[in-house]
Amino acid sequence: MEKIKEFFKTFLLFELLKGMALTGRYMFARKITVQFPEERTPQGFRFRGLHAQRRYANGEERCIGCKLCEAVCPALAIKIAVAEREDGTRRTTQYDIDLTKCIFCGFCEESCPVDAIVETRIFEYHGEKRGDLYYTKPMLLAIGDKHETQIAKDRAADSKYR
Amino acid sequence: MINIEIDGKLVETEQGSTVMDAAHKAGVYIPHFCYHKKLSISANCRMCLVEVEKAPKPLPACATPAADGMKVHTHSELAVKAQKGVMEFLLINHPLDCPICDQGGECQLQDVAMGYGGGESRYTEEKRVVSPKQIGELISTNEMSRCIQCTRCVRFGQEIAGIMELGMANRTEHAQIMSFVNSSVDSELSGNMIDLCPVGALTSKPFRYTARSWELSRRKSVSPHDGLGSNLAVHTKDNKVVRVVAAENEAVNECWISDKDRFSYEGLNSPERLTRPMIKQDGKWIEVDWAPALEYVANGLRQIASNAGAEHIAALATPHSTFEELYLLQKLLRGIGSGNVDYRLRQSDFSADGKQAGAPWLGMPVADINAADRFLIVGSFLRKDHPLLAQRIRQAVKHGAQANIVHAADDDLLMPVVNKAIIAPNELLNMLAQVLKALASEKQTALPAAVQQAVAAVTVTAAAGAIAQSLSGGQQVAVLLGNFAQQHPQAAQIGLLAEQIAALCAGRFGYLGEAANSVGAYLAGAVPFAGDVQGMNAAQMLSEPRKAYLLLNVEPELDMHNPQLAMNAMRAADMVVAMSAYKHHAMDYADVLLPVVPFSETSGTFVNTEGRAQSFKGAVKPLAEARPAWKVLRVLGNLLDVSGFDYDTSEAVRAEGLHTLSLDDKLGNRIAGVEINITADGNGAGLQRVSDVPIYSADALVRRAVSLQKTTDAAVPCVMLHGSELQKLGVVSGDTVKVSQGEASVQLTVQANNQLPPGTARVAAGHPATAALGAMFGTIEITTGHSTKQPENACQVAGHSVERA
Repeated sequence: MEKIKEFFKTFLLFELLKGMALTGRYMFARKITVQFPEERTPQGFRFRGLHAQRRYANGEERCIGCKLCEAVCPALAIKIAVAEREDGTRRTTQYDIDLTKCIFCGFCEESCPVDAIVETRIFEYHGEKRGDLYYTKPMLLAIGDKHETQIAKDRAADSKYR
Repeated sequence: MINIEIDGKLVETEQGSTVMDAAHKAGVYIPHFCYHKKLSISANCRMCLVEVEKAPKPLPACATPAADGMKVHTHSELAVKAQKGVMEFLLINHPLDCPICDQGGECQLQDVAMGYGGGESRYTEEKRVVSPKQIGELISTNEMSRCIQCTRCVRFGQEIAGIMELGMANRTEHAQIMSFVNSSVDSELSGNMIDLCPVGALTSKPFRYTARSWELSRRKSVSPHDGLGSNLAVHTKDNKVVRVVAAENEAVNECWISDKDRFSYEGLNSPERLTRPMIKQDGKWIEVDWAPALEYVANGLRQIASNAGAEHIAALATPHSTFEELYLLQKLLRGIGSGNVDYRLRQSDFSADGKQAGAPWLGMPVADINAADRFLIVGSFLRKDHPLLAQRIRQAVKHGAQANIVHAADDDLLMPVVNKAIIAPNELLNMLAQVLKALASEKQTALPAAVQQAVAAVTVTAAAGAIAQSLSGGQQVAVLLGNFAQQHPQAAQIGLLAEQIAALCAGRFGYLGEAANSVGAYLAGAVPFAGDVQGMNAAQMLSEPRKAYLLLNVEPELDMHNPQLAMNAMRAADMVVAMSAYKHHAMDYADVLLPVVPFSETSGTFVNTEGRAQSFKGAVKPLAEARPAWKVLRVLGNLLDVSGFDYDTSEAVRAEGLHTLSLDDKLGNRIAGVEINITADGNGAGLQRVSDVPIYSADALVRRAVSLQKTTDAAVPCVMLHGSELQKLGVVSGDTVKVSQGEASVQLTVQANNQLPPGTARVAAGHPATAALGAMFGTIEITTGHSTKQPENACQVAGHSVERA
């Protein structure tokens, strides 16, 4: 009995029709393809994209060079050097992130006691040479300055879960 | 012995020990801050509260004596509640600035808060703020708000350093750790307070913000400075030494190190470091590769050996060099036929050469110092020359020992001294003879005939009698000769008399080794009378100038007994090869500079003053083209075709030179065949020079330690005179006078110092300001009227410390 059933199924291209039916269903279903860059997927406030360094409202950089992010970074992508500034405060003289190493885990952001290093919503950046993705302190601060409004909004949204 | 139960573990502990000691024995950790095994118990942090059965309240483990049958719980509900409560109180006023605190990551408060504290704080009121203090160039007290008032630093000052430089002022919330008004912390052991501080209130100023503790690699090493051979933990980051802390060795340095050991690492990273071999050609220095530089040296030496004879080649080495370096240096010299090798650069009396039983050493293990009950310390700037040995003597004195001093300067030793004989340098021998004579009559023992004859003529003064009386009452007598006595022009006789004094009391006699490897250098044969080829000693090499000098880490104008003579000899020489880690004054007269590395960059061995051979490995790689001196000497040996120079490792050199690590039969202070001739010479015109080597000028490394050079101990030396001498000259403290010795003279600020005997003038050696003068002993003249410009110095600060002392 099984064998006969099998024979007819093969003969009448049942599997083919079944497959085509699925294709047909999707042919008329709502499309989910996003036409990047004209269209964009929605982003959560915890989106982990390109890094940025923030400043306080008075323009003072937040980073105090505690090196917790350097210590926690699983990809060893962060390199920091610290010295005493003339006013006696502890500041970084070097803060580099090698984005070719970075795995965007967000640990740096999580470990930062002053919310200085953050990951922004930016994900469409590129480098043409290998060195282009080696971000230094001025570059990170510039990103922070440019996107501070969005960054602050995201931190505020996340604050009640922290 | 009593039995006590801690957390269910039965331990046997001594009568009179505390619960904390018992817990330590049982391997149970009780959190604590103010308790430290080397300091007295204050029980003021309350962190070590534990539950003791039948006690109504939790008791502090550090201050509760263990009693038989006591049952202690460290993790019971009551104990945990107490610990949590104390922790919460301690954190009330502690700022939450761990991210910028240098102690972060190695902080006791952080660790204990993690282990025993609650999750979060209920305290929402304002925290107290303590104003920053300025207590010197070594310890940073910028964040005194972090202090939890454990008073370890205060107790350290009182009990270990011997002077209470920090204290706790005010009460309760206003309590603050501070120094006395406007004074800095100048103790030569002050850096230990940084280690002791369980929080980040006292941190290292030179290290400030350099690295976090988790970034550092830790390497064991041995101090290259004084004769003790303190064990160090060298912390490195990115192939650079960034910090040095104490490594515990109960038999040597306990858990302390001196500031010199701790902060001299700054000299390792000095911009003056020599990085490439250099040759002087037509008066100009050019950098070359190793091969041509060594060829140049080998050719030069070969030429001088064949033209003038090998005995015209001389080698001087500092006893801060490693055993391996010194062994190869003397082997090289002897290999090319010259015995002119010496490490005793500041010594002036060589009459005991070959007459001493072995290497001059401490005469006892360092740890035995604590057990001695009578000390006779002869000719030693004890605190500055041997900070930690002084500390051990201080502990012994605290436990009832009596210290007696025979010296030319009455510097404050920060311990009670029962008898002092402060005399001019040329009376040192006479004073010892008096002590010996008084002691012999006290003990009613006959002296050996030769000695008896020599001391017969002296008249015993009251001071000598008192010293003899003190010594004769002792069971464990230690007679110790300091650097000053070893550098004295009658050092051999002083040694002989001191040995006799010790023998009369059945005590021990020893030399406080000047440098990290003073004993090792002797054992390595870096003396002219060792081995088959004999030669000239350090003084002869200069008084009868040689044609070629090999300098191993030596800066002749600062390291030699007579810098004047040394410089003349160097300038007159055909060839001077300076093996040095630094570009220094040798640029003027040397022909070749070979960059060798300091202790942190080579493997090696130091044999400390008690004869303990301590080997260490390099902590970092050699800087640039600099190479370990033993490698340089090895290649030089090959180039000069000296046989037996095929070592692969420094261990192979040590194995050949040191044979075995049991050194007992190679150490010996017994002197035989030295005539005693007690005459006070040179009591003519002028003042007797008393010269110390300032603590931060003693060797090449520490001279370049920037922070140490800013301390009061590193101030430009003044000429110090007894007040009566000042009156005679008609000058007052602060005036500039002309100090002349022989043909040379320098301008120095004059300073009254009534701790000196009249008729003497204290002028430090080993400092550029006085390098133009001659020998460390002798007469100097002081003339006034040359009111040239005031030498730029910090003499007033130095004077201040003298007055306080």
